[in-house]
Amino acid sequence: MSDEGKPKVGFYVCHCGTNIAGTVNVDEVSDYVSGLPGVSVSRNYQFMCSEPGQDLIEQDIREQGLDRVVVAACSPMMHELTFRGAVGRTGLNPYLFQMVNVREHCAWIHSDPAAATGKAIALCNAAIERVVHQEPLFASEAPIYPDTMVIGAGIAGIQAALDLAQGGNQVYLVERDSTIGGNMARFDKTFPTLDCSSCILTPKMVSVAQTENVQILSMSDIEEVSGYAGNFRVRVRKRARYVTDACTSCQDCIAVCPVTVPSIFDMGMASRTAIHKTFPQAIPNSYLIEKDERPPCWSACPIGQEAAGYVALIGDGRFAEAAQLIRKSNPLPVVCGRVCYHPCEEQCNRGFVEEPIAIQHLKRFALDWEAQHNGEVKVPEPPVRHSEKVAIVGSGPAGLACAHNLAQRGYQSTVYEREEVLGGMLALGIPAYRLPREQLQQDIDFIRRMGVEFQTGVAFGRDVTLEQLRETGYGAIFVATGAHRGIAMHVPGEDLDGVVDAVQFLHNKALGESQPVGRKVAVIGGGNCGIDVARTILREGAEEVTVVYRRTRVEMPCEEHEAIDAETEGIRFLFLRAPVEVLGKDGKVTGLRVIEMELGEPDDTGRRRPIPIEGSEHDLGFDMVVASIGQRADLDYLEDDPGAGEMQLSPWGTLDVDAETFATNLPGVFAGGDAVSGPATVVAAMGAGKRAAEAIDKYLRGQPLEGFETHQVPAEIPRVEGRPHRYSKPYEEIERVPRTQMPKLEAETRIGGWDEVELGFTEEQAVAEAQRCLHCGVCVDCYQCVDACKPGAVDHSMKDEVDHLDVGQIMVSTGYKQFDPSVIPQYGYGRLENVITGLEFERMLSSTGPTDGKVLIDGEAPRSVAILHCVGSRDENYNRYCSRVCCMYALKFAHLVRERTEAEVYQFYIDMRAFGKGYEEFYTRIMDEGTTMVRGKVAEVIEAPEGSPGKLLVKAEDTLLGVRREVPVDLVILCPAMVPSDGSEELRQLLHLSQSADGFLLERHPKLDPIGTASDGIYIAGCAQGPKDIPDTVAQASAAASKMLGWMARGEMTIDPIKAEVQEELCGGCRVCNALCPYNAISWVEDKKVARVEEALCKGCGICVAACPASAIVGAGFTDQQIYAEIGGLLAV
Amino acid sequence: MPENGFNPKIVGFLCNWCAYSGADLAGVSRIQSSPTLRPIRVMCSGRIDPGFVFTALKSGADGVLLAGCHPGDCHYSEGNYLCLRRTLMMKKLLGGFGIDEERLRLEWISASEGDKYSKVSWEMENRIRELGPLELKQ
Repeated sequence: MSDEGKPKVGFYVCHCGTNIAGTVNVDEVSDYVSGLPGVSVSRNYQFMCSEPGQDLIEQDIREQGLDRVVVAACSPMMHELTFRGAVGRTGLNPYLFQMVNVREHCAWIHSDPAAATGKAIALCNAAIERVVHQEPLFASEAPIYPDTMVIGAGIAGIQAALDLAQGGNQVYLVERDSTIGGNMARFDKTFPTLDCSSCILTPKMVSVAQTENVQILSMSDIEEVSGYAGNFRVRVRKRARYVTDACTSCQDCIAVCPVTVPSIFDMGMASRTAIHKTFPQAIPNSYLIEKDERPPCWSACPIGQEAAGYVALIGDGRFAEAAQLIRKSNPLPVVCGRVCYHPCEEQCNRGFVEEPIAIQHLKRFALDWEAQHNGEVKVPEPPVRHSEKVAIVGSGPAGLACAHNLAQRGYQSTVYEREEVLGGMLALGIPAYRLPREQLQQDIDFIRRMGVEFQTGVAFGRDVTLEQLRETGYGAIFVATGAHRGIAMHVPGEDLDGVVDAVQFLHNKALGESQPVGRKVAVIGGGNCGIDVARTILREGAEEVTVVYRRTRVEMPCEEHEAIDAETEGIRFLFLRAPVEVLGKDGKVTGLRVIEMELGEPDDTGRRRPIPIEGSEHDLGFDMVVASIGQRADLDYLEDDPGAGEMQLSPWGTLDVDAETFATNLPGVFAGGDAVSGPATVVAAMGAGKRAAEAIDKYLRGQPLEGFETHQVPAEIPRVEGRPHRYSKPYEEIERVPRTQMPKLEAETRIGGWDEVELGFTEEQAVAEAQRCLHCGVCVDCYQCVDACKPGAVDHSMKDEVDHLDVGQIMVSTGYKQFDPSVIPQYGYGRLENVITGLEFERMLSSTGPTDGKVLIDGEAPRSVAILHCVGSRDENYNRYCSRVCCMYALKFAHLVRERTEAEVYQFYIDMRAFGKGYEEFYTRIMDEGTTMVRGKVAEVIEAPEGSPGKLLVKAEDTLLGVRREVPVDLVILCPAMVPSDGSEELRQLLHLSQSADGFLLERHPKLDPIGTASDGIYIAGCAQGPKDIPDTVAQASAAASKMLGWMARGEMTIDPIKAEVQEELCGGCRVCNALCPYNAISWVEDKKVARVEEALCKGCGICVAACPASAIVGAGFTDQQIYAEIGGLLAV
Repeated sequence: MPENGFNPKIVGFLCNWCAYSGADLAGVSRIQSSPTLRPIRVMCSGRIDPGFVFTALKSGADGVLLAGCHPGDCHYSEGNYLCLRRTLMMKKLLGGFGIDEERLRLEWISASEGDKYSKVSWEMENRIRELGPLELKQ
């Protein structure tokens, strides 16, 4: 401040030639301001930013002792730093300066001089009021990380990385794709030199890969950017490649991969396998496996069976491999092929087209084929063998799966079974017409051959106790005793002769015990067990069997096809009836009193609740009633064996285990299957057995029970939206193919005996059905590549890696993609076969492309070709901007078409733009070669009429000749606009960059700083900033790199002093600010009970300043005092 | 251009990164905008203290525009959301004071939306003209 303690303000208004003075009366402004209190000097001058203009300020400060300066000129974005510099050179603090924007915000947007001048005076008045409250601020210097990051590895990113590497520090070159090279790798030749694109690009790709201090992070996405200029921290996710560096690019894997998808690199004109390399010269030069969202059939399977994998192999005719794959993760493959309730099919994406794939039938086919063709299957050798032994109680699906998995892990186990037959419910509950006993035996024999021992007729708790098992030397025990006890109906008459329990009936039947059946039988309950018992009783000779169910057919819990089979065999169904009493005479059943039901609101299971209709009771005549309303765990052993009795029970009366680890409360004792879950499915029990085996392995190895790898079904099955995988058509466009029906035994033949009802697919049926599979996930986990790879480079267990990288500066060069011309219906792209895009034609021209560089349409050279410029560019309906390269590459196409064919070439253009070095000469050359130029935008491309000399007809107006033309051609090449690449919008938001109206990244200044951004330390180059050709792209990349190298050489960055600061004496300790700061810059000082701003982390947004109820936080440069003064000044005029 | 003698004054609090740059772009593109809108630059729309708004109305403004980055685009991650919350609160308070809440307007204007800045300025002027001068009881 001046001697008198009052500020002395100098004011300057700039004419900016006529830019400001043409509208704003600058004399009036400076006159007005000269009369304001505190203003010592008020001038107007032609160009304040010029050297004499700046001198004026400096001179006044020195001679008149000014201590505040206001300049009214252009936007502070343009020259705030310039004038701060001038102020600073005199020794005055540069932050005692305020700038008024009277050009962009006044002169340029108002045509009325009086209004513009009036507003300018108000803005200047506000600045004068504000500036006296401004205080000296001091910018600090912070060291910067010398490492840099380049995002996007097209030619711009490669060039920048090479240049940056010269500085000697680490450069991270991050690329989303599996290879670097970008769009340039797709081109055949480059204009105007017509040199081969690959020949100039690939040496650079190799060079950057060989540069030691460049680390290429391919298949990598930026997930988070924190920190500030000079000190960024970037979180990068490197997606799993599933192929290691050991890959020698021998291509053996390609031969065995059953999945093909369109090659994006070849613009969909060729296909590739799920394991692939983008193009021969790709860098990194190794293969990769593309995995989209895992196939839902896999996710939905409790044992994580690779259903899509074996279905794909069957579709490919590789049945032995399919069976081998099934065995890999399925302990009971033969059983599952017949009785699994296939949750995979419920989730199958093919269901969105018409019907799910018959996955279970295909599994059965593969196993049947194997049994017929391969003889005895070899038992796999475990990688290690452990000395610990495991006891398994119960030989049902849970116990068998656990034993199988433990054997795979190298543990010997013994299975104790209460009954004389093995298989639990598989043997005792499921009738033989569904699962022939010899089929079950196949699976059990296989498990036996893996080294598992079985002891039958040994009841847990009675014949052997938990303590005895422990003493025998078992390191762990798995209890899987199932749910074998039926639930009573709790109605009067239940104890009459002729009332039987369904589970008991099926047990007895399976064990060969003779039991009487009635003539007219009622089965109560519509579950799978109810259907099984009904069909069994029918086979046992009953005349009439009726299933009584309290809801309707839709709600019946049994499998739909089971109900249909039952009906075909003659079983009757009585819906909406519940038993209220079993009627009897002389102790024997004579009938059933039922009540009618109606359906109410849905209950917890989503099924509508049955409600009895009062007074609707009536009697039906039966001589046998079978109760099949549920099962529960049979846990008698808890009472027989005090040791086992210590196991905790759940509120539902089942064994209580940890949901993750299947561990009971007793150390070393695990449990699973129906005994834990209550009655569930075979495959769910198997899933529990597998998971428990992993837990037992961890337990025996002394590892913590965490980090499980065994699959568990997620609550929601993840899937790609609207299509099976990213390369597929949407569901509604996929051709419908009906599901192959399972051939079945004739109904009359069935009830005469116990033969299997389902007969199995033929080879032709299986292949046809398997080929309906949509290959969700792209890679379907068939693992054929693993076996085919001699160097052992394939690793399907690879995981994504997340890195945190500290870098000082970032360059963004994310390039462009081609505008999708199918949105312009009149050009017929996507509808007419011979209309293609520029990039598609580039691939056709390329010697590594789908036609080996030949220009071919339907296998023949075109006789004439039309090239359409400005497709989606320079078009008010799509993109207003010019894409800049199309004119030149269209000329290049003309040359290459004529070089490789005899075709006539027509160019339809609006204006010819040959702006670059050598471009005009190139244009002349192509014209001399003989290309027909038609000046006019094409109106329409249609199919040529019969007898036309071309396949297509291009309609346009030749605006030079003033005539309408219809040109018959064989091939139409569209030159679509360049638009920002996929993912660039997400990246823009992560980096907090702005975009220009065209959607590309916004540069700091369109002319003076085209590679800088509003964010210090972040640069842009190439087509990410806007459409441009290769020379301009490379020039920008090198320019950005040299700017970055400049900062690296300086080693420090200036940190803006616009920061928040807590005045501790005013802070009330409410902590409102702590949670609001987006940078976690505000910490809590416990001993003083105040908040404190960490200066290094604060970015100066001022959110906390506005939020502080005690006004205890000061936002330097934008204090409350300054802004209130500005408001007052702004409105005083 | 006073109309019926009423020349509205509208204060616009513009965030540095989006709205202020958008207004700059309106200038660079020479898109005519309402001279009734008088901008004040703040670093973030989240810096706008409700006190600024009430003081502006008390000091003679007939309307106040708050303009920040589009949702998801805030240079400071989420300052614009705070501004949105505060605006809803302020509108309630204005209603309580008998001030038409349309005198306060919040807009998302990106650095590339010079045309939007202009459009909003004219809409705001027209609406304030309809509402007439803000007369506060002393």
